[in-house]
This record gives sequence, C-alpha cells and structure tokens, in this order.
Amino acid sequence: MCLAGGSIVTGRRPGGLRSLYRGEQQIDFPRLWRRALIGSLAAVVVSVASFGIRGVDLGIEFEGGTSWEIPAPGTSVAEARDALGGTGASDAKIQTLGGDTLRVRADIEGPEAVDSVRRALAELAGVTGDEVSVTTVGPSWGAEITAKARNALLAFFALIAVYIAVRLEWKMAVGALVAVVHDIVVSVGFYSVFQFEITPATVIAFLTIMGYSLYDTIVVYDKVREVVGRVSATGRYTYTEMMNLSLNQVLMRSVNTSITSVIPVASMLIIGSFVLGAVTLQEFAVALVVGIVVGTYSSLFVAAAVVARMKEREPAYVEIAERIRLRGASADSEGTRTVAADDAVLGSSAATKRSTAARKPASAARTSTAAAIPPRPRKKKKR
Amino acid sequence: MRRKLVYVIGIVAVAAAGVVYTLVADNEPLLGLDLQGGASVVLEPTRVATPEELDVAVEIIRNRVDGLGVAEPEISTQGANILVQLPGVDNQQRALDLVGQTAELRFRPVLSAVSEDSLDGADEALLESFALSEGDVAADAEVVLPQYDDDRSIALRYVLGPTAVAGDGLEGAVAQFHSFIGWHVAPTFKPGAEGIDLFNDVSRRCHARGSSCPTGQVAIELDNEVVSAPSVQADNAIFEPFERDSITISGGFSEQRARDVALVLDYGALPVELEAQQSQIVSASLGTDALSAGVLAGIIGLALVSAYLLIYYRLLGLVAIASLGLSGAMLWTIIAWLGESQGLALTLAGVTGLIVAIGVSVDSNVVYFEHLKEDVRSGRTLRSAVDRAFPVAFATILKANFASLIAAAVLYFLTVGQVRGFALYLGLATILDLLATYFFMGPLIGLMSRVSGLYTHPSRFGIPAPPAQQPGAAS
Repeated sequence: MCLAGGSIVTGRRPGGLRSLYRGEQQIDFPRLWRRALIGSLAAVVVSVASFGIRGVDLGIEFEGGTSWEIPAPGTSVAEARDALGGTGASDAKIQTLGGDTLRVRADIEGPEAVDSVRRALAELAGVTGDEVSVTTVGPSWGAEITAKARNALLAFFALIAVYIAVRLEWKMAVGALVAVVHDIVVSVGFYSVFQFEITPATVIAFLTIMGYSLYDTIVVYDKVREVVGRVSATGRYTYTEMMNLSLNQVLMRSVNTSITSVIPVASMLIIGSFVLGAVTLQEFAVALVVGIVVGTYSSLFVAAAVVARMKEREPAYVEIAERIRLRGASADSEGTRTVAADDAVLGSSAATKRSTAARKPASAARTSTAAAIPPRPRKKKKR
Repeated sequence: MRRKLVYVIGIVAVAAAGVVYTLVADNEPLLGLDLQGGASVVLEPTRVATPEELDVAVEIIRNRVDGLGVAEPEISTQGANILVQLPGVDNQQRALDLVGQTAELRFRPVLSAVSEDSLDGADEALLESFALSEGDVAADAEVVLPQYDDDRSIALRYVLGPTAVAGDGLEGAVAQFHSFIGWHVAPTFKPGAEGIDLFNDVSRRCHARGSSCPTGQVAIELDNEVVSAPSVQADNAIFEPFERDSITISGGFSEQRARDVALVLDYGALPVELEAQQSQIVSASLGTDALSAGVLAGIIGLALVSAYLLIYYRLLGLVAIASLGLSGAMLWTIIAWLGESQGLALTLAGVTGLIVAIGVSVDSNVVYFEHLKEDVRSGRTLRSAVDRAFPVAFATILKANFASLIAAAVLYFLTVGQVRGFALYLGLATILDLLATYFFMGPLIGLMSRVSGLYTHPSRFGIPAPPAQQPGAAS
C-alpha cells in the first residue's frame, strides 16, 4: 500500500521503511529528477501522440445524442442490438457496464424516437419503462458546456498563477502550472490510450486532479521556502541542495496524504465497479486514482525540479555553486550533497520567531532574497 | 492555554448544536435526482430572452410542476437557461414534455380547411395555398396550420385568420369528463373586453358566415397546431353570446391529455419558446444503487483511513479522526439545512466531491503531524514543538486550502450542471476543514501535550523519540 515512497526507499537502503517513519531517509531527489524527466517526457509524448492520433472517446454530453441505461443482468450486446433493430438506434453504441448495466448511446434526439428505444430496452430486460434511465443532450448544449469548462479552466490558471506569485513567488507559479499541465496531459493521455469514455464525471475528476496537484505542490513549495529561509543564511548550499532537504522532510507527508486520499477513492472504484455496478462512481474513481498518483509524483519531481532549475540561475545561487565547485566540495558524479544536520536546524529558533510573530509571506520572501549574504568561513569540515 | 480550551469547547458546542438543530428541525439532506431517481431538463430560449421573461417563464413552470404534484422541484435560471429538476417524479417523460411546453393558445376563425387525403395529387396552386406555415407562427396574420390524428400524422390543414383571442384572455381551465363528449377542457374566460367579449366577437362573425369566417368554425390552436375547430351553430338567426364558462375544448382527448392541456392553459403560456437542450431521466432503482454505493464507499474508505491514521499516528491519529468527525457533523448540518430550506440537492457529483474531501481534510492533519515529528527529531521537546509547529503548519494549510477555494469558486461561477454541485461541496468541505483545523485539531493537540504522561512519551503520539545519534548518521 505504501506507494512511491516505500518502493524508492526500500530499494535504496536496508531498513528503509523504518528510517522513513523516523524521517531519517536521505533520498537524492535531484538525481531522481533526471530519471523523472525522461519518464515524464515519455509519458507526455505518448499522451499527446495518442490524443492526436486516436483522440478521446467523448460522451454524448459533449457531442449531443441520447444515452439509455438499464439494469439487465445477463443480456448480451448482440441481444440488445437485435432488440433495437426497428427503432432507428440500430447503429447505436452498446456496452455492458459493471457486469449488469446495459448502456446504449445513439445520435437520436426526438422525443418519440427516444421513447421507442426506451420501450424496446425495457421489453428486452423485462422491466417497466420507468427502470430505464435516459439522458438526452442537444448538440449545441454540448458545445456550450465544453466552452464553459474551457473558459473556467483558463480563468482558474490565471487566478492561481497570480495567487502563487503573490503568496510564494512567481517562479513557483511557473513550476506549479508546469506540474498541473503535466498532470492533466498525462491523465487525458491515459484516457486516450485506453479509450475510456470522457463524461461529465470524468471532467469533474480532471478538475479535482488539478486542484489536488496544486494543493500538493503548494504544500511542497511552502516547505521549500521554510527550509530555504533557514538554511540559506549559512550561504553554503545551492538551491538544489536545500530543495533536496525540503523534499526529504516533506516526503512522508506526501506519501501519507496520497495513501489517505487514495483509500476512499479506491474503495469507490472497487465498490463502484465490482459490487454494485454504480457506473458514475467507477468512471470518476479511475481518473482520480490516476490523478492522485500522478499529482503526488509531479509535485516532488516536476514542480520541484522546475523551480530548482530556475532558481539556480539567480546570481546569488550561481555564486554559491561556483564557490562550492572551486572548493571541490561537491562532486556531481556522486550525487547531491546533503545539508549537514547542524545547518538544517540552524536558525530554527529565529525561524520560530519569524513564523509566530509575523507569518506574512513577505517577511519570508525577504529572507530568501537575503541568501546573498557573504559566506561565513567554515569552522570545520562536516561529513 | 485557556484560549485553546475555549476554542475546543466552543467548536464542539457549535457542531453539537448544529446536529441537535438538524435532528429537532427534522432536516434531512435533499437527494438529487441522480440519487433518488427523477427527471431533469435544461431549457434554452429559442431567441434571446430578457431576464424578466425568464423569471416569468420560471414562475409559470413552477406552477405547472406544482400542478403535477412533484414533491421538491428545483426550477432556476442558469445564465440564459432554465434548469428544471424533478426528483422522484413519476411518469418522467410526460413531466418533461409538460414543463417545456410553450402552451400558446389562440382562437382563430377558420377561412378554409382541407383534409390531407384530398391533397394527394392535387394541383400545384392548391398545394401552394395549403403550404404549412413554418417556424414562429404570426399571431395577427393568415396562417396555415395542421391538425394531427392519434398517430401524429397530419389529418387536416386549416387556413386561419388573425388571432381573435389568445391564452391571456383566459382566467383558468379545468379538465372535465362528460359522458357524451368524453374528456375535454373547460376554460373560463376573463370577463369583459379582455376575454369573453373578444371570443363572442369572433363567434358572432362566424355565426354570420361573413368573409372573415366563411366556414363558421373557430379553430383552437395550441402551440402552432389546431386542437379542434368547432362550428358556431347557425340554427338561431340571432347570435346568442356565450357565457364565460360555457365553452368547452374537445379534441378527442385522453384523460391525461385533457388534464395536461388544462394544466398548461390554467397557468398561461410561456413568454418565450423553450427548447430542451439536455434532459435526463434517472430510474429510481439506478439512483438508489448509486446512493448506496456512494455511502458504502464512503464508510469503507473512512474506516480504512481511520485505521491507517491510528496505526501511523496513534493518539494524533485519534485527534485527526475526531477532527474529521467534527467537520463531518458540521457538513451534515449544512447539507441538511441547504436541502430543507434552500431546496439545494446533494447529487452524485457532490457525494464524490465529499469523498475526495476526506483525503484533503486528513492532509491538514498530516501536514501538522509531520512538522511536529520533524521538530522533535531536531531535538525539541514535544511541548515546545507543538507551540512552534502549529502556526507554521497552519500557514501552509491555509495557502493550500485557499488554492482549493479558488478552484471551487471559479468552477461554481463559470460552469453549469454537475460541475457546479461538485464545486459547491468541495468549497464547503474546504472551509469546514480550515475551521476544524484551527479551532479543534491544533488547540486540542496543544492541550494534550500538557497532559503529564503524554508529553513525556512522544511515541504515544506516533513520534519516534529523539534519536541519540545524529540524524542521518545511521547507516
């Protein structure tokens, strides 16, 4: 059940789970970023290619048409097609869902035609017409809600970018948006590759993924800022190294939150698909499980990497990196240096005062720009 | 210390009061039609309608729905559209047809009529003169309208003169049964020049068989088709004016059709023609299945999450579960209140939003707990860590939850339908999570950290004791 964290850690060092629980794990995130970049690129390319070639299976809610659903245990698609022979829905798309629900979709909108299919299906399943659920959507309506959803999405991206830029910093806004777009592309790609139908429930799920991914990313960024505000005073560490420390500190939170978020959704998936055949729940849950896993991954590996890359170009951090390189303290081939324990807690009492007295984001932002203070001479070599 | 106690007691009292209120007022969450079965339709005007026209249309539809006897209908405008939701309605298709019917009633003199059969092979000039009027039929011009038979194929075509009386000349209408003419509709005209005088005027002309009504028939037109075209009897040389309530509309109606026509006439015509853009009929059994699946998934999910929290965080996990229960109680109060007083239903999309909110609410706890663990790891006592970590963690939680609120608000105001319901409950759950975190979870852990026997044993909080050796030095 222990998702990403468990497998990474146990693979890297013995007794990993225990050190993870105690928060002592030292995972080299920047090193993993390079692998993650390849993985993410591959996933995005596959998604975009599949979207371009195969497209996605849009439900009638977006294209117009009618959908009928009826509990019909043991009825085959062929039987249903036979029953619909005389109704004008003979070329309809027929599926069985969750084992016992029959779903028929066709490009029919007239009330009489809709009703005749309804009666034919009820007869087939041996139930009354009231047992058939019918959804009819006009073609312009589908276009309208699609346009509305797109506008809402754009407005949301704009607002959230401004929000993160104000509360955190604009480079983080860029990182967060890159991560969200990554998540949405990969999730839609998942739907395209497996040709799952996209319904309004799926759209809601995608929106949730978006919200979840952003939420997760903000938690990670906030940790990064807290650590950077504290550790950068030493002037001894590059942004990437401080980022690595932050990610290690926030890892268990990410893992635990993913687990506690996936559990209810997974129970929705299992119950929805196997036990009761509640179709909407199932459709919703598939997208969510994919999204939560991808969202957790992207905040640690995509959002963090983007910001680290951007921050390392700031003059202050270029200078630090240069100094470290000259001193030969860092060897890239051996992976990322870890922040020494003393430095990690250093200034934490000062941080306490800051955070309790004035928790305004501006004060912390000032601290992080103060990272350019001159380096202190090293007292003694640590690790 | 004192303040923390006040916070915890205060919010527990508020939540408890909410639950008691809900129980006493017998509030229950109103289930959306996808959870209990029913019908819904989105109606869009065929032309640009003013807000006033939409309001009038909503009012008329509401009256019609009340006439149908639907328990808790929801009729509202969404942008330029009208959303009608009829949870638990029987005979759903009929209800949807009735709701969206324009019900434009007009009485017109019949200039000439021809049966559909006789048009077979007729010459072009005749066909031309009986070509059906298309689209929005003009009220005050000559038009050609069809009369349908029982199989919905055209039986007769009428050439009709300008409208003499329209539906707004009626005061009301009822369906009646008469052993001779069967089911029919009995309208009551408004008195004087607004109603009955106009009707008598056209009847007098038809009685005289003048050029404006050579056939002597008055056609009753409903939504651009002729229901029936009774003749004004010319037995008496002198025209006797009709009484306001002595007219009947009979068109070979079934009982249901007569009742429906009477219902729509009773409440008048919609000010604008509406077209169904999206309609949904959910069978009661499917809705109930979805509800029980959602509830079961929620319960199992919650149980598993609780177990995980208890194992991982021990006492802290217990606090997290209590915090979740607290915001759940407040949420239930609000949902029940919204359903009872605002007619706002909980839909399947809303339920899924709430299930997702479980994860997000737990996260607020996890963020704080991990901060605590980290501070204890770096050598603080549990007591000082509690005081230090909460403001830092809450600042993070606030930032992240605010992003969720932005998402909820944007979705709520810019989208329609299911997505809106989802956004509402996501936003609601997020706000309650913030309240529960700030007033309950944080202060309660602060209080617990002062109980002797707890702060000396961080492991009871799921926090490993500070390691003897330097962190990271372990191999």
